[in-house]
Amino acid sequence: MEPHASAHLASRRPARPAHHASPAPPGDRRRVAPLEGLRGLAILGVLLFHTGHFGGGFLGVDLFFVLSGFLITGLLLDETRARGGRLDLVAFWGRRARRLLPALAVTIAGTLLLCWASGPPALLRFALDDAPWVAANLANWHFVAERVGYWDAADTRGFAHLWSIAVEEQFYLLWPLVLALVARGPRAHRRVAAVAAAGAALSLVLMIVLADPADTTRVYEGTDTRAFSLLLGALMATAPVSRLLARAGRPACAWTGLALACGIGTYWAAVGGQDSPMLFRGGLFLHALACAVLIACAAHAPNAPFGRVLAVRPLRWLGQISYSLYLWHWPLTLLLSEERLGIAGWSRTAVVVAASVAAAWLSKVLVEDPIRFRARWARGRTGALVLLAAFAALAVLWALIPRPQTGAGTVDLTRL
Amino acid sequence: MHITTTPLLRLPGSVHRIAGLALAAAAATLSLTACQGTGGDGKADGGPAPSGGTKQDAKPRRLLWMGDSIAEAEAPALEAAMKAGRAEFRSMAAAGGGGVTGPIAQPTWKALAKELRTFKPDVVAYQITTYDWGTPAEQRAGYERLARTVKAANAELLILPSPPFKMDDFYKPHANEIRTAPKAAVQVARRHPETVHFLNSSALWGTDRAAPKAQRSKDGIHSCQQGSAAFAKWFGDRQHELYSFAPAPPERWATGPWTGSKVYSRLGCK
Repeated sequence: MEPHASAHLASRRPARPAHHASPAPPGDRRRVAPLEGLRGLAILGVLLFHTGHFGGGFLGVDLFFVLSGFLITGLLLDETRARGGRLDLVAFWGRRARRLLPALAVTIAGTLLLCWASGPPALLRFALDDAPWVAANLANWHFVAERVGYWDAADTRGFAHLWSIAVEEQFYLLWPLVLALVARGPRAHRRVAAVAAAGAALSLVLMIVLADPADTTRVYEGTDTRAFSLLLGALMATAPVSRLLARAGRPACAWTGLALACGIGTYWAAVGGQDSPMLFRGGLFLHALACAVLIACAAHAPNAPFGRVLAVRPLRWLGQISYSLYLWHWPLTLLLSEERLGIAGWSRTAVVVAASVAAAWLSKVLVEDPIRFRARWARGRTGALVLLAAFAALAVLWALIPRPQTGAGTVDLTRL
Repeated sequence: MHITTTPLLRLPGSVHRIAGLALAAAAATLSLTACQGTGGDGKADGGPAPSGGTKQDAKPRRLLWMGDSIAEAEAPALEAAMKAGRAEFRSMAAAGGGGVTGPIAQPTWKALAKELRTFKPDVVAYQITTYDWGTPAEQRAGYERLARTVKAANAELLILPSPPFKMDDFYKPHANEIRTAPKAAVQVARRHPETVHFLNSSALWGTDRAAPKAQRSKDGIHSCQQGSAAFAKWFGDRQHELYSFAPAPPERWATGPWTGSKVYSRLGCK
């Protein structure tokens, strides 16, 4: 759940090919260091939420969305500026695919194999059910259609968390198309800002209208209803907002950022989950808005005290592995259950986190980084073919794994 | 075994109804005996006759099942039992919904109208949902509307209380409303003795959700396969008492493929 930021950072690596270079000023890696730290905080919140220690940690996903909107839109607007208003959409989607899909494919395969080898039958059953949707990046709509309540049914689905990856992928597919139409000619940034703001407002209205107190899966996982987080992030990446922040000055940004960081932290601590008052009637929107302004301030005043705190090394390191950590943590949380480990509470959490971090680090070192930075075969037509072959192999694996038989012998006729 | 002690709620003053039920029960017994005696489809084991022994006018022939996720977990077993008894079955039980009061009722009314039009049930069974929140007056209004709607479709309505379930943090604020819902349903059943019946399933489940009798799954709310099969058996017996329905013996349906339904995997059942 961090691809955007990584892409943004990576775009400033001098070793990267020219077509990935960003026109942003050189030497500004520190500018995004607090954002990496924010990613670290976001994944930390999600980890603690999923291990039962922090009820507001699910808001980390919202923070990821805002970061994605901000960083991806920044990259796309940079490209339009550098290319005279044009976007190379195929190249963009190729970079996204290279960044996101290999790790996703490995996670799907690894989870299926682990569930097959050692998981309870129900976990394997739903992993097999959900895997095609996850691979197609449509998991969120699959869960909505199946009425799989995120808040009460996720414990049996190892891919339940990947709804958010699907939302991001769908955003990466559609938003550049919008920008290709809107971000050309004079006042491009102003138009993009207007579209992002209008889209966010529409998304909020949809969330309010579609909110169902009995089952919030539709609004929690719908791409349309969560789009405001991505679009508010996108709004912050436009020139009008940058100019506004510049006029306000760095001290104002620093204080605003500090206040927002404290406010967001308080909200995370106060929110207990889907039942929190107003969560789906403006609460999530305000949270996303606060995150968006915080991100803009952090990018504008990276040396402010709150930015330096966010940029501490452990948080940044977590931020750097946040995508694969997000991918792996939930299936491992289910597989390393209390029953299996024989331990509970923080002891179990330590095991789950250690296993997840190890898997994430291996994914980054062995899969993500080599494919992004070193493997020449991973680019262009060859890269596309290899990716297709990888997903074909995944489909074969999916087809070969025997479907578990559940329910046999569960009814004792003598007790009826 | 044909006629068990009825758990139908005895409603003060409904003497006619009780007499009617007694007559129906006697008629059903005679009917079953006659079937077995003539070597019809009745089984020699003395259990309720399979559907071949059901009277021509017996009900349900088409059962529509309503409720929330608890009812959804009961639906696979109920479907197997009803179909084995040669009754058509359709469930519109909805996880996270299915109620007829409060904010979640709107989708239920919409879906019900469609099911009544297309499935044409002769019996609609509504298990009170864990979301039937509101004041007693609002709850009565919801059940009244349900009774009117079902009657208008020429069907009879059965209302069942929800089984005892764990009042977690989600339900605690609505504990009083959850308690008053069955009482409101009973009041509505009293007003429509000819077309609405209250089936008191606490005879099956008891009232303590933690007791083995309640047969709740790990989550303390839903039933796994054994509990759902027990419910389906109990429900079939009640239909026998009410409508001369001839439930199929559990041997014919209780261990069938329905036990592998996804709904049980989702609940963490085996």
